[in-house]
Amino acid sequence: MSAVESKLCSLLLQEHYGEIVDRVGTFLIRTGNQPLRVIANETGTSLDQVKKALCVLIQHNLVTYQLNKRGFVEYKAHVDRFLRILRYPRYIYTAKTLYGDTGELIVEELLLNGKMTLSAAVKKVADRLTETMEDSKSMEYSEVSATFTHLADTHFVQRCPTVQEKDATEGRPPLAPTLQMNEKEMYIVPKLNMTGRGKRRRSSDDDDGGSQAKRPKKEAEDSQDDGVYWQVNTERFHQHFRDQAIISAVSNKMDQTSSEIVRTMLRMSEVTTSSSAAYTQPLSSNEIFRSLPTGYNISKQVLDQYLTLLADDPLEYVGRSGDSGGGMFVINLHKAVASLATATLESLVQERFGSRCARIFRLLLRKRHLEQKQVEDFAMVPAKEAKEMLYKMLSQNLVSLQEIPKTPDHAPSRTFYLYTVNTLPCARMLLQRCYKTVANLIERRQYDTKENKRLLEKSQRIEAIIASMQATGAEEGQLQEIEEMITAPERQQLESLKRNVNKLDASEIQVDETIFILESYINSTKTKAG
Amino acid sequence: MAGKGRGSGRGQLTFNVEAVGITRGEALPPPTLQPPPLFPNLEYKPVPLQTGEEVEYMLALKQELRGAMKTLPYFIKPAAPKKDVERYSDKYQTSGPVDNAIDWQPDWRLLPRELKIKVRKPQKDKSAVVLPKHKQRVPLDKEEIIKKLENLEKKEEEVSSEEEEENKEEEEEKEEGEEYDEEEHEEETDYIMSYFDNGEDFGGDSDDNMDEATY
Repeated sequence: MSAVESKLCSLLLQEHYGEIVDRVGTFLIRTGNQPLRVIANETGTSLDQVKKALCVLIQHNLVTYQLNKRGFVEYKAHVDRFLRILRYPRYIYTAKTLYGDTGELIVEELLLNGKMTLSAAVKKVADRLTETMEDSKSMEYSEVSATFTHLADTHFVQRCPTVQEKDATEGRPPLAPTLQMNEKEMYIVPKLNMTGRGKRRRSSDDDDGGSQAKRPKKEAEDSQDDGVYWQVNTERFHQHFRDQAIISAVSNKMDQTSSEIVRTMLRMSEVTTSSSAAYTQPLSSNEIFRSLPTGYNISKQVLDQYLTLLADDPLEYVGRSGDSGGGMFVINLHKAVASLATATLESLVQERFGSRCARIFRLLLRKRHLEQKQVEDFAMVPAKEAKEMLYKMLSQNLVSLQEIPKTPDHAPSRTFYLYTVNTLPCARMLLQRCYKTVANLIERRQYDTKENKRLLEKSQRIEAIIASMQATGAEEGQLQEIEEMITAPERQQLESLKRNVNKLDASEIQVDETIFILESYINSTKTKAG
Repeated sequence: MAGKGRGSGRGQLTFNVEAVGITRGEALPPPTLQPPPLFPNLEYKPVPLQTGEEVEYMLALKQELRGAMKTLPYFIKPAAPKKDVERYSDKYQTSGPVDNAIDWQPDWRLLPRELKIKVRKPQKDKSAVVLPKHKQRVPLDKEEIIKKLENLEKKEEEVSSEEEEENKEEEEEKEEGEEYDEEEHEEETDYIMSYFDNGEDFGGDSDDNMDEATY
């Protein structure tokens, strides 16, 4: 846990859950597991505030608790989940592309609320969809819950750990409930007969009458899946992101058809392969042929040729694992992720140090270890420039130096100096730099908004006035008069602020894509060792 | 400079300086005495950000999400500091965040017992839920009181001063009950009351709220 990471976590918490939660969360990140009283004491926050903050953090699955042996409850922060907040828009967008507006709203609600019961989520989403529809139309609950079931079937949402029912022990109830994940039921949607449709918000008296009449029925519905909470399965989303990245890499390297074959292979093993596995399940070419999307007209022969081509490719995305059944093929997931990360490093060097440096960098990646003289020769760059570039990258820690002494006294004249690129440490360093970048972007955005706070408030107020006047049917002249309350220079300032904020936000999203690739690479090397 | 500590001439170096690209007759680069600049000049201009529908939509989503998060009850704002003087109008203003109560309803089964904290109910629910409760309770109370009064009347014949006091207490109770009833009645009919927070969720009053917190 680096200082940069905790700084970024702190900023994210502050932006999304407020100052108090930030204080508690950051304290937990810095000091590890802590009991309630210590948190309150050390952060100088009142006990009630800390309780509230912990409730929020637990609700959003950012903090878990466990019973200490000495008989108190301690709270544990999950840094990786804190950093996921940055990726929320991407999850929502993915849900939209896969499952339309309904999927988008379901995932959005789950992310906003941390965990929800199925019935609550369905109701909320149906209501929200109904509001956007035309009058007299509304969204059926059953439709929304069908989408929810799809999401659960494809593992994009999963159940939260549930309370383990202890057989009735006498005496006091335990300090903290024991939570347990039921592996079998993780993606099983409880059978609910939800009938009805989304309601529009209406004038108050109408609503009151309606809600009172429906109360008993509503309660009955709620109790059906009471206590079964759902959360977004970020792992599954990451798997999807990774698959998409692999597919687009293949389509860039080879062509559309081969990317379609890889897509089919990935889709076939989507749910059966765990997200940390190094390879997909072996698939025979016959199976792949049968699962190709209809309308994709390639013959079995062509498919076999493509598969051989893919397996022979130096990138080694696709591997041949056996010859039975017309050849068994796997997708080498870890290798694919590693090559994506390497490509990221290469492009960083290219954009930062120019294409000649990138040439040297790629050379080192390919040849592993090279002496300085060899670098100069192979890269076909003038010796002096090559040295300068090499040292520049060395000082930035992108290239490392390995000494191999010929004699035990390590005398420089009798030592080989081999330059090499260690991708893993490089990736780690770059990841830290990305965290720093995002933290800086957020800080800059906050600073900009703070500087222009007065102006923003003014424009909001005026917009509100205009909206209310339009509603009452004011004349064109009056509206214009009010619009002119914001002067031209002010308008300009507002526009430039908006442009800047948009740019900063967009950069955040894009840096996060890099973060994702680097993180997956680093995680994939971890599981290999473990 | 190889730990010799004497001078800094090139001759002292243990390796051939030409190997690192410094030719004969060229001076060694001067030592760096200050930290690198905070904002170094960029040698290469950064590439422009990606554009397109996807990026735009994601951007809108991000900003919307950030806005939405701020309005949810999970966004804990510190209670506003007490102002200089207590004003009469204070209790008609919609109450801001309170330190000792939570604004949403967590599922306490999933949380450690020590975290349990008073839950503040949203305004709308209150009038709907509390009302029927009181309607039930009031007639019951009256019957009881009448019974008690009758008992007392009987006892009064035996005249003792202590019981007179008790009587008074009972009567007070009755009065309180009626007052309460009136208040509720008002809440039902008077539209202004439904509009203003009548300050009931502050501190002392709330047996109702306590019920919620302890189940």
